[in-house]
This record gives sequence, structure tokens and C-alpha cells, in this order.
Amino acid sequence: MIQTVVYGLTIGAILYFFSVGLALTFGTMHIINFAHGMVYTLGVYLFITFLQAFGQSFPAALAASLLAMLPVAWVIERFVIRRLYGESLDYAIIATYGVLLIGTDAIKMVWGTTPYPVNDPIGVAVPLAGMDLPLYRIAIVLSAFALYVALRAFFRRSLVGRVVVAALEDADGVRCLGIDVNRHFSIVFVLGSALAVLGGILYAPISTADPYMGFHILLLAFAVVIVGGMGNLNGTFLAALALGMVMAVTGRYWSQAANAMVFAVMALVILLRPREAH
Amino acid sequence: MNSRAPCPGFSVPPAPRGGLVGELALIAAGLVLLSFVIRIHWMADFAVFFILVLSFDLLYGYMGHLSFGHMLYFGAGAYGAALWLVYGNASALLALGVGIAAAAGMAAILGGIVLRTHGASFALINMAFNEIGHFLVQSPLAAYTLGEDGLSCTADPLFGFISLYEDRWAFAFSAAVLLAVFALLRVLTRSPFGLLVRSIRENESRVQFLGYDTFRFKWITFVIASTIAALAGALFTLIQGFVSPRVISPFGNVDVIFAVLIGGAGYLGGALIGAAVFLAIKNFLPVMIPELSRWLEVKLPQWELWLGIVLLVIVFSLRGGIVGTLRARLRKPRAVEAGA
Repeated sequence: MIQTVVYGLTIGAILYFFSVGLALTFGTMHIINFAHGMVYTLGVYLFITFLQAFGQSFPAALAASLLAMLPVAWVIERFVIRRLYGESLDYAIIATYGVLLIGTDAIKMVWGTTPYPVNDPIGVAVPLAGMDLPLYRIAIVLSAFALYVALRAFFRRSLVGRVVVAALEDADGVRCLGIDVNRHFSIVFVLGSALAVLGGILYAPISTADPYMGFHILLLAFAVVIVGGMGNLNGTFLAALALGMVMAVTGRYWSQAANAMVFAVMALVILLRPREAH
Repeated sequence: MNSRAPCPGFSVPPAPRGGLVGELALIAAGLVLLSFVIRIHWMADFAVFFILVLSFDLLYGYMGHLSFGHMLYFGAGAYGAALWLVYGNASALLALGVGIAAAAGMAAILGGIVLRTHGASFALINMAFNEIGHFLVQSPLAAYTLGEDGLSCTADPLFGFISLYEDRWAFAFSAAVLLAVFALLRVLTRSPFGLLVRSIRENESRVQFLGYDTFRFKWITFVIASTIAALAGALFTLIQGFVSPRVISPFGNVDVIFAVLIGGAGYLGGALIGAAVFLAIKNFLPVMIPELSRWLEVKLPQWELWLGIVLLVIVFSLRGGIVGTLRARLRKPRAVEAGA
């Protein structure tokens, strides 16, 4: 049972890392950003390459791939996302999906389609209630909680964070104060992308990297963002952990049904919600 | 409520120049020409895809409801027909009817649920149901559908002599169905009902202010679009004699959405042209690219990358797709209502 809880929290933690960026892009720019899946996948592949280059040093490869992904995220924001601002939802979906396709194909060209396994960087298991729990999974869960606290502080205390929170409510109002909202959005977009990369790298040792990993987590993250309320950061955190638990508990009894159950929950939430976030 | 920006290219199409008969003749001629270019074996599959794309154009192009779950109804039609052939009898017409009826019933029930949402939620809740349908076929119903292995089925010849396993008959029959669907949709979209559906796309609140129960019209349109998708699915089963979970996979939605967009959403002719261009990208690029890269002696990316580039070009400089852009160019002096 404890094992299921820890597994659920791990999946939830990774979903949280990934969904923050998605929720922010939706909340600020009303864009469903498929390109997020591409950033995630590319980050993990870069990480694997850096891992070999830096003699299997996990922290060095992590830092290097995060740094390398910042300009990529900036380019996507500057040349695709920003041009979609204020457009209809459909065109934004299609353009970012185009970016996802291009990225996935480029990854297949460079790294091939065979999955890459990554070693557990800690490799220690803690005995707990008669079971061995990998310390690494516990570290992931703790880092998600740390991220939640850090983001809360960022959005409450820092100027950039407060501008973005205000813009989530009323972007035009913030613009009227003479603040360049787009610049703040682009900072937040790069931040969200970096978090997705971080999540992907943290998840890599307990999964494998394949070119379509971004597609799979995207679908689940959509469910997280919808259940949590689009652009609602506290909701995203709770929804990620809750849906992670749904997956783990369902998976324990019926492993094929884990994904379908997430979508069933999502459909239920959309139906039961009194007024929908449009 | 309806805060989405107005989309250029999404305008009420002007009155027709040629009659419906002329259009049908043009499509038939196009299909026959195409059958000389490519192997006739593929033509029936292409016709099925054309029907599917037309049905999606009604939902997305005309009503403005982007769904990521249209393949659910295609798959339901396909599986409905296949299950009837395996567990019922071998009548092709009955299989067609069962597949369509099953999917129409599903659309009637689910439509009442999904149409309570708009925009992103609508797109994603449809995807959720599609994902659940895909899962049901794969796992819990595997006793009947045989899961990933797929289901083989054979049907007796239609009306006693049309054997759909023969390429020519399959092509002729699916082309006839395609023409019938096109005619139906043309009449429907030009009717007062069609005008109302387009008005819902432009501004649902205003249609409500006029006193219309928009939910009912959206529901009817959703059921019609899903039923036509199911017709395409059932036809697919009859022609292939085999279904697997791939026919109901949510990833298929992307193909349909892109086909409509490439051609021009909101134009039936655009849907057909878009479907043809999309099939060309999907089927011929994977064949041409390896040869081209051998000839140029460079490693070239696969078709997905080119499709991605096409999509970006459409969004950033070819709004309205092929047909929408051509229309705007040709009718520039009076294109004020196009708002482009």
C-alpha cells in the first residue's frame, strides 16, 4: 500500500513539473501548447547525451541540459507562441502541434527510435514497512513539494511573479499600467519549459526515453490542467498529485486501465464543474 | 462567453456558382483521374478518408467545434460493422446499418454531455472519451474484439453481386457513397439549418438572443457529423475485412484535423482538396524521401517534419487553407465580408 502511495506521488510529482508550464501558458495566453511535449522530450535526450559526455555525472548533465534548453524555449516563445497571442484556440493548437511534430522527427533523426534507459542516480533503497522503497522516488516527491513552495513564493513575492499573477486575472488591465506583459509572459514561458525539462530528466531514470514520450505525458497533463482549473497553480498541484494517485491505484489492480481512468476522472470533473473556465 | 477572436477565412461562403450536379460531376471526374495516377487498390481507402474528413468539416469547419475525439465514432462504426459480421450474420448492408446505428446512439448520448463545454474543454473532453473507447476495445472488450490482434471478418457481396473485396467494386461503391455524403452535406449546409449552424460558429450568444435553442442545433449537428464518420468507419470494415484498435486510436484525429485545415475549414470542396493533399504528404513523402536522400546523398527527415512545417505555414501565412486563400485572392474586390 505504501508502495502504491509513493508510486502515485512520484507520477503526480512528474506531472506537476510538466503541467506548471502548460497551465501558465493557458492561463496567460489562452494557448494549449503542444510544443511543451517537444521541449520535454528534447531536454531528456540532451541530458542523455550530456550524461555520456560528462562521465555519468547526473548533476552536471542536468545543469547542462537545462541551460541548453533555455534558448530553445525562448525561440519557440518568440517565433511561434507570441505570434499566436490573441488568436483563436484552434490555430494555436495546430501551430504548436506542428512544432511538436518537427521536434519529434528531428529527435528521431538524431537519436533514432530505440528507447534509452537511464540509471538511478542514487541507487539506494530505504526499507519502509517491510518494503524497499527507492530513495530516488522519495527525492522526486520531495522536490515537487519544494517546487510548489518555491513557485508560491515566486508568484507572491517577486515582481515578475506578481505581474504574471495579475495578468492571469486581467492582462489588459496590467498592460494599461504601462507594463510590458509579453516580456513577463516570455520569462514565465521559459521558466515553465525549464520545469518540464527538469521533470523529464527526473523521470528518465525510472522510465526510458523514447521520441514519443512527450506525446504521452501531454495527454495526461491536459487532464491535470483541466481538472486543476486552467491557469490555477494551486489546482494544478493538487490535480497532479490526485491524478498520479488515480493512476497508481488503478494500475495496481488493472494496469492497462491506468490512463483511461485518468480521462474518466477528467470527463467527470468537466461535467460536474458548475461554470467552465473558458 | 464567446471570447475567441474572429478567424479570418471563417466567413459565410458566398452563393454557389455551379450547381450541385456540376460539383458532383467534378468530384467524380477527379476521383477517376486520381485512380489513373495511383493504384486503384488505394482508391477505396482514400474515398473512406474523404468521407471522414467531410464529416469533420461539418463539425469543425461549419460549426466551429474543434474535437480531438472524432475517431471514436469512426472506430465505433468500424467495430460495430465488424462485430456484426463476426457474431451476427454476413450481410454487408446489415453490418453497415449496425455500425452506423451503434455510433449514432453513442453520439446521441455523449453529445448531450460533451456539448455542455466549449473551446479547449470541448476538444479535450472528446479526446478523453476517445481514449476511453480505445481502451475499451483494447482491453475490457478484448474477449469480443480480440484486442491488439484485431478482428477479421468477411461479408457477403452487397446486393448479391457487389464484392467489396474487389478493388474496382470497392472503389465504385465507396465513391458513390462519397458523392451521396457530399450531396447531403451540401444541401444541409446551404439550408436555413446550415446557416444557423454557421451562425453558432460566429457567435453563439447572439443566436441565443434571437431565441434559438442553440444546444439542440449543436446536438443535431454533432450526431450527424458522428454518424457520417461512422458510415466511413463501417465502409472501411467492409472494404478491409479487418479492424484493429488503430481505427479508434485518438492519434488518427490529428490526420483529420490537418486535412480539413490544409484544404480550408468551412468549405466542403476544401475538405476534399485538403484530404487529397494530406494523403499525398502522408503516403508519397515516405516513399519519395528515401529516394531523394539517396540521390542527394544527405539524410533527410521523415514526413512528420514536413507536415509540421506545412502546418506552421498554414497558420502563419495561409489562413483559410488552400480553398479559403484562393477564394480570397480571386474575389478580392468583394471580399469585404471575408474580414481577412
